Amino acid sequence: MSKTILEVKDLTTKYITRFGEDVYAVDHVSLKIEEGKSLGIAGESGCGKSTLALSLMGYYFAPLHYTSGEIIIDGKNISGLDPDAVRKDILGTEVAYIPQAAMNALNPTRKIYKFIEDVVLAHQPKRNKKEIYEMAKSRFAELGLPVSALDKHAVELSGGMKQRVVIAISTILSPKVLIADEPSSALDVTSQKMVIKMLRDMMDRGFIKAMIFITHELPLLYNVTDDIMVMYAGQIVEQGSAKEMVFDPIHPYSRGLMQSILVPEEGTRDNKLAAIPGTPPNLKNPPKGCRFAARCKYAVPQCHFNAIPMIEAGDGRRFRCGHSIQNLREVYENDK
Amino acid sequence: MKRYQKYFTKKIIWFIVTLIVALILNFILPRLMPADPVAAITGKLVSGSTDATASARIYEKYQEEFGTNKPMIEQFFIYIGNLLKGDMGTSFGQYPRKVNDIVGSAIWWTIGLQLPAIIVGWLIGNVLGALAAYIRKGFDKVLMPLSLFFSSVPAFGMAVVLLVLFAVNLKIAPVSGGYGFDMIPNFSWAFVWSVITHYQLPFWSIVLISIGGQAIGMRSMSIYELNADYVKYARFLGIKDRKIVGYVFRNAMLPQVTGLALSIGTMIGGALVAEIIFSYPGLGSVMYSAITAADYPLISATTLIITIMVLIVTFVLDIIYAFIDPRVKAAQFD
Repeated sequence: MSKTILEVKDLTTKYITRFGEDVYAVDHVSLKIEEGKSLGIAGESGCGKSTLALSLMGYYFAPLHYTSGEIIIDGKNISGLDPDAVRKDILGTEVAYIPQAAMNALNPTRKIYKFIEDVVLAHQPKRNKKEIYEMAKSRFAELGLPVSALDKHAVELSGGMKQRVVIAISTILSPKVLIADEPSSALDVTSQKMVIKMLRDMMDRGFIKAMIFITHELPLLYNVTDDIMVMYAGQIVEQGSAKEMVFDPIHPYSRGLMQSILVPEEGTRDNKLAAIPGTPPNLKNPPKGCRFAARCKYAVPQCHFNAIPMIEAGDGRRFRCGHSIQNLREVYENDK
Repeated sequence: MKRYQKYFTKKIIWFIVTLIVALILNFILPRLMPADPVAAITGKLVSGSTDATASARIYEKYQEEFGTNKPMIEQFFIYIGNLLKGDMGTSFGQYPRKVNDIVGSAIWWTIGLQLPAIIVGWLIGNVLGALAAYIRKGFDKVLMPLSLFFSSVPAFGMAVVLLVLFAVNLKIAPVSGGYGFDMIPNFSWAFVWSVITHYQLPFWSIVLISIGGQAIGMRSMSIYELNADYVKYARFLGIKDRKIVGYVFRNAMLPQVTGLALSIGTMIGGALVAEIIFSYPGLGSVMYSAITAADYPLISATTLIITIMVLIVTFVLDIIYAFIDPRVKAAQFD
């Protein structure tokens, strides 16, 4: 039985808009990641995946606010801690973040090693600067990054290099959990591959113990992560192993999501591409029943009225649908 | 290093070309004014006399002395030749004073008034703007309208308001001049005190206006930078807010440096209004009286000083930017 590194219980966070309305972008999300594992989170834009990434760090600032739930990292509950304690002892050391826009993530007027110095000193104020520089140098070398990048400014690095430098900076203090929010979506395929390789490499070397990888590119997740979780309108709709999720999605939404893209894998050749009609619900005023019901072609009247609980299907597989698995499998079979 | 040299060689060549063009314009433009300053001096000298031949001879003698009877192109080369020797000629309007002498005594008044005023206004304005961006809420709501108000008051308006309020009505400051009109410049305590009291109104009239403009600029730059991606990333790495605010203000400051440099460069033109209204004995007043008297050598001298100051400031700015903003450096040497 391997150790649970990150456990999230019923986490709910909301945005408060300028007009004082509450928008629950992460709604009762629970998840668990074991040591050495990676979890992919997929969903269309606006489904709350980036907000979940931000919420998982336990550090909130306007307009994002914590509502309820628990975040437990390696046995330590970080929800409810004083924000400055979270800043000092959790961020960067327990859980680290790779932003969506790595292109602009670095201060344009600060050299890379100076920024690394700031990061390290924020958590370990007594460290000596020379020592930090040496540490950064050896870490860059281990990750296959040119050591000369340390003495450069962000403008002097290429896009792919910037992204990899950002990853190296985020993990400089060997955090237990790394949250990567679309780290490769702005890159060309070659740089993408290098980024993925680097993330895997860090897992293998034990710089990080678990990883959450957020993306809208499902084929990428299949190749990168062990498990995949699909989010819709702030909720988890389905979770399972990467293989199951790509080849045998249960939830109608996951199924639609998988059918809407090309998966360059064996056995998917005959699948037709399909779009999911409609748009996601407005989270200011979410529907009472199943959030996907309005767009679901298998919806029955009850779907619109009854809140749907998560159903555990064994082996870490879970989904949120009013129909049973057998029922869904039957309908899908008839569809073909 | 070679690219560095190439870049600055190119800059210096442009600097020299601009200077030559400016010299030509500085020489020609005042002389296109429809006035005959030599006749004016002659007129002053012979007023009361009725001897026409005598005044004609005096006129010719002055023409000879100033060289105004020679062709324009020859005058120009004489002017340049003298300039290279450091001689800017003799003033028409304040004959027989030398231009060097007039400019030399006036320029320190202008620098003494303007340089501190520009720097103080710039510093206060930037600090207030940065605070407004960081604190927002009430502070911002009070500061913004005030800044807008002060920055849109014309310079002469502000000077006149201060003059009427503090000098005419409250009588707590002198009305005009750089020191008491009954004093001779020396280093006595009474004279220094007189200079300080005369200094206040022109100084604050410049400071108040520049605070407004600088605060508005700094506020919007800071708000922009505070929402930049690198700020968010630094926060999620656990870097302290104080440090991040340091990043933000350093970056928001960059465009403001250009503003500071340019206002230092155009100091004399900027001094004009305040100096005229308060009859301050600086270069602005000199320039104004030179223009009204069609005093070519003096006009050329003041405009030349402005040109050279702007050129030097922009040149220095180019060098400074390479050090304070790596993005500019990268662009310069590409």
